[in-house]
Amino acid sequence: MKLRYAKRIDFTSSYPDFEHFEQFNQKVIELIRDKEKAEVVIVIDRAYGLAPKHDGAHLLSDHLNLSGDNPLVGPNDAIGQRFPVVNNIYLSAADTINQEETWTMGNPLSKLRSGIAAGVKPGLRLNDEELALAYSMGAHFYNWNTVPTMIAAAHAGLKVLAIAVPEGEQLSDAVVMTIRR
Amino acid sequence: MITTAPKTAADAVGQLKQISSVVPVAAIVLGSGVSVLDDLHDARVISYQELFGLAPGVAGHSGTLTIGHTEDGPMVAVLRGRFHLYEGYDWPTVTLAARAIVEWGVPNLLLTNAAGGLNLEYSVGDLMVLTGYRDHLNPQLKTTGLLPAIKIPPTDCRNSLSEKLLEVGEKLTLGSKEKSLQQGVYAGLLGPCYETMAEIEMLRRLKADAVGMSTVPEMLSCDGSATTAAAVSVITNVWRPEEAMGGHEEVLTASKNASKRLDRLFRAVLTELGKA
Repeated sequence: MKLRYAKRIDFTSSYPDFEHFEQFNQKVIELIRDKEKAEVVIVIDRAYGLAPKHDGAHLLSDHLNLSGDNPLVGPNDAIGQRFPVVNNIYLSAADTINQEETWTMGNPLSKLRSGIAAGVKPGLRLNDEELALAYSMGAHFYNWNTVPTMIAAAHAGLKVLAIAVPEGEQLSDAVVMTIRR
Repeated sequence: MITTAPKTAADAVGQLKQISSVVPVAAIVLGSGVSVLDDLHDARVISYQELFGLAPGVAGHSGTLTIGHTEDGPMVAVLRGRFHLYEGYDWPTVTLAARAIVEWGVPNLLLTNAAGGLNLEYSVGDLMVLTGYRDHLNPQLKTTGLLPAIKIPPTDCRNSLSEKLLEVGEKLTLGSKEKSLQQGVYAGLLGPCYETMAEIEMLRRLKADAVGMSTVPEMLSCDGSATTAAAVSVITNVWRPEEAMGGHEEVLTASKNASKRLDRLFRAVLTELGKA
């Protein structure tokens, strides 16, 4: 699982060495599905509406797709067999421990909290009642782009290291050094 | 997205009336890998391509409608396969077959599906009669997201036909080693990927017992009509944290294995319906 050769996608327009996208779209799918050799997609997205006791950047451990949509919807034969299993796709900090990039720096990813994202329609802001409902369903925050990216990646046979950064915050230099190209 | 089916429900009914002058007492829609009533007498078969102008594109769905009768039972129509929202079909296309059944005047619609078990008391191969369903796949939710659907309780779908399934199922298992029918709430999700563990936990919190990617549109199509709809889920796996999840092949194998029990159940129900 080489982070070095990962595909890098940034939806926050903040990090060099990443492909920047304003939101998930067909071009993201094309990047994920292109033939460039990779086993991992590193995704940076915004985190909104963090639950109490959840602050700062998070590594995604799982997600709830609450968007009402799915990037794999379409005719069954166009992109190969559907129905990917989407469990154990997100990488944890522990999964990256043997990477040169992480152990030489004391694995900064392990300093991030892990959490479950609710993926909602891009642009949608949840009100307090909706946030409370999302928390009660197991989410720790919500974001717009990571969930469809992960589903497309899982379908392409890739693992995903997903980081969610609250608005107005940046990843630490150590984390950036770990995940940059 | 395929926005309109080439044919309408009225077109399909016109063709069905040419094939059979008798309106069947029931129609049965078979989901992924489910196989029942393979030996109907006086069977007449028409492909979905001919009937609806479309063929299903999912493995495990042959895409035919067969009209015939069981040895001692009434006339029945068996629809092998369905169109799904996750294939890119719109709501009118996904509900086309059910609407045709309603318009033809068939009084009973039995729906089947392959479903993942959420209820930890379930086992692979169990048959669950739907007592309720959650609509998490309606295209309207693309605008709002799923939260409005999560807020509302499941739709109660118990009726005379689901009661008949349970009653007949009970009689069949009485004195045999066969496991009783389960009854529970089905969550219909868009798909076409399987659920994450977090989603499974969410659905459990919402009191859903099984999850799949179909059936709800057909149930909704019968609302307010003279057709009574009931559904049976074939439990093809039970999501447990300690077990790896299988894929579509596992679903097809489990469906096939449960089909014998479902076949017995439907034959017995059809016999009862024929007497009514």
